[in-house]
This record gives sequence, C-alpha cells and structure tokens, in this order.
Amino acid sequence: MYRYDEIDATLVAERVAQFRDQTRRFLDGKLSEDEFRPLRLRNGLYIQRHAPMLRVAVPYGLLSTRQLRMLAHLARKYDKGYGHFTTRQNIQYNWPELKNVPDMLADLASVEMHAIQTSGNCIRNTTSDHFAGIAPDEIEDPRPYCEIIRQWSTLHPEFSYLPRKFKIAVTGSPVDRAASEVHDIGLHMKRDANGKIGFEVLVGGGLGRMPILGKVIRDFIPREYLLSYLEAILRIYNQEGRRDNIHRARIKVLVKAKGVETFRALVEEEWARIRDDASLLLDDAEVARMQAFFQPPPYEKLAEIDVTANQSPEFLAWYRYNTRAHKVTGYRAVVLSLKAPEVPPGDMTDAQMDAVADLADRVSSGQVRVTHDQNLVLGDVRQIDLIETWQALKALNLATPNIGTLTDMICCPGLDFCSLANASSISIAKQINDRFSDFDYLYDLGHVEIKMSGCMNACGHHHVGNIGILGVDKHGIEWYQITIGGSATGISALGEVIGPSVGKEAVAETIARILDVYVERREDGEEFLQTVRRIGVEPFSERVYGKAH
Amino acid sequence: MAKLIKGRQPASSPWVLAGTEGAVGASHLILPLADYIKAIEAGEPADRRAPLLKAENHDLAPLQSYLGKVPLIAVDFTSTGDGRGFTQARLLRERFSYTGELRAVGKIRADQMFFLARCGFDAFELLDDEDMDTAIAQFDRFSVAYQEGSGNLTHTRRRYGG
Repeated sequence: MYRYDEIDATLVAERVAQFRDQTRRFLDGKLSEDEFRPLRLRNGLYIQRHAPMLRVAVPYGLLSTRQLRMLAHLARKYDKGYGHFTTRQNIQYNWPELKNVPDMLADLASVEMHAIQTSGNCIRNTTSDHFAGIAPDEIEDPRPYCEIIRQWSTLHPEFSYLPRKFKIAVTGSPVDRAASEVHDIGLHMKRDANGKIGFEVLVGGGLGRMPILGKVIRDFIPREYLLSYLEAILRIYNQEGRRDNIHRARIKVLVKAKGVETFRALVEEEWARIRDDASLLLDDAEVARMQAFFQPPPYEKLAEIDVTANQSPEFLAWYRYNTRAHKVTGYRAVVLSLKAPEVPPGDMTDAQMDAVADLADRVSSGQVRVTHDQNLVLGDVRQIDLIETWQALKALNLATPNIGTLTDMICCPGLDFCSLANASSISIAKQINDRFSDFDYLYDLGHVEIKMSGCMNACGHHHVGNIGILGVDKHGIEWYQITIGGSATGISALGEVIGPSVGKEAVAETIARILDVYVERREDGEEFLQTVRRIGVEPFSERVYGKAH
Repeated sequence: MAKLIKGRQPASSPWVLAGTEGAVGASHLILPLADYIKAIEAGEPADRRAPLLKAENHDLAPLQSYLGKVPLIAVDFTSTGDGRGFTQARLLRERFSYTGELRAVGKIRADQMFFLARCGFDAFELLDDEDMDTAIAQFDRFSVAYQEGSGNLTHTRRRYGG
C-alpha cells in the first residue's frame, strides 16, 4: 500500500497544527461558530446530536493493520469503544470531545492517516472496489490512480470551496463494485484497441434529493490525461455550478440543466487548454512509481484445494456467503460481516479491531479493506487457513454468514446519532434482523440488498437498494418509504417507490410481503432484482397495500 | 481605511471601491468590469481605474485587451464559501499571463490566505473583524503542496509529470 514520504508526512503534520490553531481560536472566542464550521468540516468534524462526530478518511478503503490498531486506540481513548464504518469506506467516531480532536488527528498522522476533506464542499475521499488488486475479473488495479487522485485533490487551492461536496469513485473491473454510477465522477478503467490503459468518465451521478445515474461524457481518456481531465471538470463545476440553493448545487444539477452534450463540450474546451500542462501530465514513470506501492504480497504457489469436504453446515454457509474467489490459486478473500443481528450495521468495537489486525497479520497480508457496504475484507487468505480464520472470526462475532443476503444491510446512523436524520435506521435494522432470523429462509431468498437511510441525504444509498428504505418525518412521527428494484452493483438502477410510506412498526412486515411475492413469482434461478425487473412494481404494491391502493 | 495585506505586510492603498464610503472624489477607483470598460473607453485615466470581477464573471475574455494597462484587478468574494474567485485568479495568472496586482476583496477569511496566495493573489483586503497577524501567519501554514501554484514553498516538488 502507499507509504508516506517526507512531503506527505509534512503536509499532514502541518494540517494537524493548522487545525489545532483553529480549534484554539474557536475555543478562545476568536472564531465564531459560523467561521469555524467550514474549517472543522474540512477536517471531518461535525457537531451532532450528542457530541461532535469525527469522520476519518480511509483512502479507497485500504488499511494496514497498524492503522486499524490506531483506529481501535482512538475508539478506546477518545470515544466509547467503537467506531462506525460508512458507505464511503471511512470510519466515524460518534463521541469525541472537541478539545481532543487535534490530538486524535495527531495520533492518526503518526500512522499516515488523516481526516482531511471527509466533509465540507470539497473533493472527498476517493473510493474504489474493495476487491481491487485481487479480483479475478480486474483489468488493472485502480488503487495507484486512486492515490494519485487523493494527492491531487488534497488541499487543492482552487477546488477547496466548491458549490457542494464532490465524490469520485474508481473501478478497475468490468463489474462495478464501487457504486461508481452514483458518484459525482465515476471512473471505469478500460483498455483501448491498442491495449493502452485509460478511463471511461461518468459525471453527475448522485443520490440525495435528486437521485440520478452518472452520464458518460468521455468513452476513453488515456491515463496520462487523467488529472487534466478531472481538473477541467472541476473547473467548469466550480465556475458554473449553482450556489444559490444548497439542494441544487451538486454537479448532477449542472449537468442536467446544461444537458450532457453542452456540459461535455465545456469540459472538452477547457481540457484542450490544459491537457499539455506538465504539472498535470501523468507520465509512465509516475504511474510506475505509484504502482510499486501496490504490488501484490509474495503469494505462495499453492494448489487449489477443496476445504469444504467433511465440514459442518455452519462452516459451509460461511464459506459460501462470506468468502470470494481470488485471482491467485489457493487463496480466497474473506468478508467480515459487521452485520451481526444485535449490532448496528457497520459498527465495530476497539477489541474487534485489534483482534482483526492480529488476525490479518497472521492469516492475510497485513492489510484490511473497508467495503462500501460497511463490512471488512481480508484480501489474501490461504484456503488452508480458512477454517482457522472462520473460527477466529466466529469468536469475534464477525462471521455471521449473511454477506449478500437480506440482513447484510447498509444502514446510516440515523436519528440515533445524526443531526440531519428524520428517522431512526438502527432500530429498523434490528426489527428486520428480529423478523428474518431464519438463515434457511435468507439463503432461499438468495441475493437481496437492503439499503436504508434516515433522511433524504441518502448516506445509506436507499435509492440503489434492491429494497430501499427511507426514513421520513411527518409531523414528528417516523414513517418509512419503501422502494424496490434499485441496484449499484453491475448494472446500476434507481428503485421505484411501491406506495405510501409505512409506519415504523410495519417495516419488517412490508418487507415480508414483498419477499412473499418474489418467492411466489420467481422463475428458475431468478434473483429478487431480476423478478422485480421482469414483473414490475405493481404486484408488490398490491400485496403490501391491497388491490385498491 | 480597509485593512490590506501586500507583500505579507500591512499596507495602505489609494484604491477605493466605487459605491463605497469615500468613493466620491477618490482619485483611484475600482469599478465593476462593465463600468471599468466604459470608463476606459470614455477616456478616464487608465492608471487610476481598475476592474472588479464579480463571482459570476467567469468569462474573462472581455478583460483581455485591457490587461496591458490595468494597474490592479480586484476579485470579489461575495461569500466565504463561494470559491469562484480561486478559479478566476488562476485563469488570470496562468491563461492570461497577468502579472500585475491581484487583490482579493469581500468576504475572505484569514484561514483562506494560503489557498488564495497559491492561486495567484498577492493583495488581500481583510474584513474589519479579521486579525492582521493571524491572517499573515496563514501564508506559511503549509510548506508543501501536491499541486503547482504561485509562490515558493520550501519543499515543493513536482508530483506529476516532468
């Protein structure tokens, strides 16, 4: 993985000193709350329902075990012993004290981490495929380019006061595992006819109040022009994006208002002027320098073995649902479920983090990946170590065999923590877990993704859930709007609302009825999403609301 | 008198923004871009008139033929969060090769000094409640950067290309 050099280390240390000074000026009354807000936000610090919330960047979801131990240390020392992994592959702490935040940032800097630009109207953490570098279907490892983008976008003097936040996702496989089509910019690595690496460029995707999929504005940008092309897009957005209405300020609104063709023309015109700017040109040597940081670990030459013979049904279920194919024979990727029934989705304790770090050092490559659906991955586990890994994870309550099933839910912190939320999410996750506790039923249902947000801001990606749940507030009462048919994996699609919002107690029952329709109507081997696409929303609505809804 | 920083020091200036207190009878006037062009075309003294770019002036082409004689360009930040002025500054410096004084005015804050200077501003009009020393200290907040920019950082290194 990437290691800081003197420039990186200096920059992060100076950023900590800057924030320490800003915090002191705020606490001394020299900065007003209004003046301090944009400054603290650019360091990932929100003021939430109970306390400040600190969001720490996990660049493209990759952590060393040393870094994971530091995250455990922060949870222990400054928080209540846990952290929450997010859909942007970051981690959030819900209980720090403002006066301690500069110390937390200094601790993070000691392991080459930071909270820079994890909030605010600037370029956020660049996200990627959590199987990057190990996926059998990969064209090329996207992470060197993610790191290049991370550096280019960090403290960018021109783009630190954008109209609104800006999110970039990069994928290296034909199958999108990074929800790239719902990002402000989605970059898909591909090769041209000559085998040259470049990117398909999508712009203007996003969720929130105006869910929309990104539009392709360029089929192929050769990799040497990646930064100049990004700079052209950001410059057009910075100049022409709306600033009069916070709900109309994302780049998707600009792309929609201008039309894709006009927007593309503006970008191309700007790019033509800066494409040969030497400071933006990515030469082969620089790419090679970055790629050297992401070389695969020294894999052993192993034979493919069948680890499932004579194993318990429990292990077999875990193997089937929580492990994935690896590009190297004899290895598997292991998904750690942060979706145990009694735990808020995405939460992890300090003890679990420490233990996982030890485990990753022992059975994997000393690295851990954070997925955008709020789980962790050990990327390089030998097949012969799978049983030991499973036993260790089981003891940590991280082996719930539910990855890709109904209870592997994406869930935002919701009303319990977030000051933006209109409704609770965590209690709904619990309701769903209580109702759907029979694994045989879950396995029979197969792949179903539930995604849930406690408000329109859609941190829980509800629009792209196979089943989406959106919490809304009506006169002080929590209601939940249900959508079906959304997806961000493979082919992206936005879900369709099935009908009026349902009451808090009725969410699990509503989902049960939706699933009944699927079970009755599915054809051979058809997944939930395919059935919805084939028969449409109507049969599901009828079952939930009755014929006359 | 507005609080002004130039050359990283407190400075004074004869320039007054049209329409503000003290503008009547002032010798050096900063005028909105369209008014500036009119004034020059009407024969007003080019060394004592300067254009003010508003955030919405993203097309800088009308200014191009005057760049040889403008003594000063002011860029207005209508709100602290409105970052269009950063782009205007870079375009003036990099695309239009403007080398004269580039002054940030309006609602800029001390904590933006580093980015403003990196984008090419070399004069900064502070709000009344801003502390001069705090603002000046921010120029040296970072000694390194990942991007090319104006000014000499102690440890700048090109990260990409070349």
